[in-house]
Amino acid sequence: MSRRSPRHANLTALLLGILLLAPAPGPLAESEASNSATLRAAKVAKVVHGILGYTRWPQQPATVRLCIIAPTEYADLLWQEHALEAPLPVETTRLLVDSPRLESDCEAVYLGVLPDEQRQALYARLLGRPILSISETTSECSEGSLFCLGIADEHVAFRVNLDSVARSGLRIHPNVLQLARRSGAQP
Amino acid sequence: MNRRKPLSPRPRPTLRRLLHRAHLRVALLAMGLSSLSLTLVSLLALSSYAEHNLQLIARSLAYTLEAAVVFDDRAAVAETLALICTTEEIASATVLNQQGQPMATFTAPVQGLLGRGEQLIAHLLLPQQISQPIVYQGQSIGTLHLSGQGATLARFALGGLFGLAASLLFSALGAAYGSRRMQRAITQPLRDLSNVAHGISIDRTFNRRVPATHIADLNELAEDFNALLDQLEIWQQQLQRENASLAHQASHDALTGLPNRALFESRLLGAMREARDSQSQMAVLFLDSNKFKDINDQLGHAAGDAVLIAIAQRLRGLLREGDLVSRLGGDEFAVLLKPIHDEEDALLIADKIIDSMNAPILLPEGGQITTSLSIGIALYPEHADNPEALVHQADVAMYHAKRNQGGRTLASPQESMTP
Repeated sequence: MSRRSPRHANLTALLLGILLLAPAPGPLAESEASNSATLRAAKVAKVVHGILGYTRWPQQPATVRLCIIAPTEYADLLWQEHALEAPLPVETTRLLVDSPRLESDCEAVYLGVLPDEQRQALYARLLGRPILSISETTSECSEGSLFCLGIADEHVAFRVNLDSVARSGLRIHPNVLQLARRSGAQP
Repeated sequence: MNRRKPLSPRPRPTLRRLLHRAHLRVALLAMGLSSLSLTLVSLLALSSYAEHNLQLIARSLAYTLEAAVVFDDRAAVAETLALICTTEEIASATVLNQQGQPMATFTAPVQGLLGRGEQLIAHLLLPQQISQPIVYQGQSIGTLHLSGQGATLARFALGGLFGLAASLLFSALGAAYGSRRMQRAITQPLRDLSNVAHGISIDRTFNRRVPATHIADLNELAEDFNALLDQLEIWQQQLQRENASLAHQASHDALTGLPNRALFESRLLGAMREARDSQSQMAVLFLDSNKFKDINDQLGHAAGDAVLIAIAQRLRGLLREGDLVSRLGGDEFAVLLKPIHDEEDALLIADKIIDSMNAPILLPEGGQITTSLSIGIALYPEHADNPEALVHQADVAMYHAKRNQGGRTLASPQESMTP
């Protein structure tokens, strides 16, 4: 044991050094920007999980399958386990916009940035189905998305399209609708 | 018999003050205790309700805040806090997120003295702060801290104090009224009693009585007092009678009932002044029974007494209203005649007296006896100008009469110069 301990100590020192030195290189501005992006992604993840948590499907699934479509800016953290949605596990997958599995394998859809035609076609496919759609840009609420995010500097707000919600047959908790309206009021 | 004055320098409390004090004490104690206990109990009940209410607000607030905390929407949290806390009695509220960082706080503005009082009461009666976890899907996602405002409690406490003060005031007034009424009911009979006692002690009006009263104890007292007065009146009358009889005994002869020498001399002095003022004449007759000593020795004292009584009776029967007959002692009598016109009047009366002795006197042991009198007459202002001299002149004249074997003799003016 006495012969092995110096090697142990060396290893520990090495690991400690890596940990301490790791954040040191790299320009400060870059790290701040990435921090800001990460913060927004975390907020987006929080809001998306919050909306999922307050949504009730006509046939409540055991696992909510969240499909991410099109290039997204802040969806990175949606794959991570979220602390709050323990009773309703979320299974995140990425699908192509024209995937036929969209209607059958998704309870919720997270939309990135899409060209207008594709987007409209997608909304036409989703119309009237019990699929929760959340789009990353604010303007799309008027086009058929149930929720749309308004991502400002440090703040992630969301709006709701009540008409689409009513057509989808999903039940959204009134508290969320209330928050959404208020968020919607301030773009 | 003077009324007793209080000896202590400190003034004694009046009945009214004592009654008032007792009434006031009882009323204030009763009202104070009952109001105080009632207020305390209600305050405790109210504080438990307020605490319960605060917990209710916390629960509903936590439920309302749930979504806002889930979405980490600080503006929404602040808005909800402000919306609910301004309508409810909340002094301050803080929402902490899962990491324990504050998301929003609300503090009610404290207005003036009343606000500070409310704060104080809230500190005393409400729990300092209650914490309510904000739960989302069975997990705590944050904490709500609430502290209550004591507005209702303060108002209640203030109202209670006002009520206490008002009821104390009313009961004090009631006590004053009650004690005055009672005092009137008690003092009136006592005053009557005192008036009667005072009247008796000052004016000796023993015939006055205390009137009846409707309070049983005082009525009994009045009756006892009246009974005492009855006895006092009887006693007083008896005393007066005894006084009168003693005075009579002192100035009258026990055997014949005639005024004695002392009374005769004092009356003679008065009569002489009267005669001097009115320029009128008067006469003194000095009478002595002839051989009275023999009667006494031979027939006994009882016979002597009978003779004296008979002489007295006959003298009294002959005299006018203004005249005075007196037994000077032994068998000596004196008669004061006033007024007379001249000496003939006196001589005439003396003759009548001598004549009246011719009738026999019945003796108690049986038998009878006749006696005779020697009479000396002295006139005022002819024979003397003072009572002693006048009586002496009459006495001397009587000796002359006795030496001449009875009858009557007028004092001589020559002899009046000698003494």
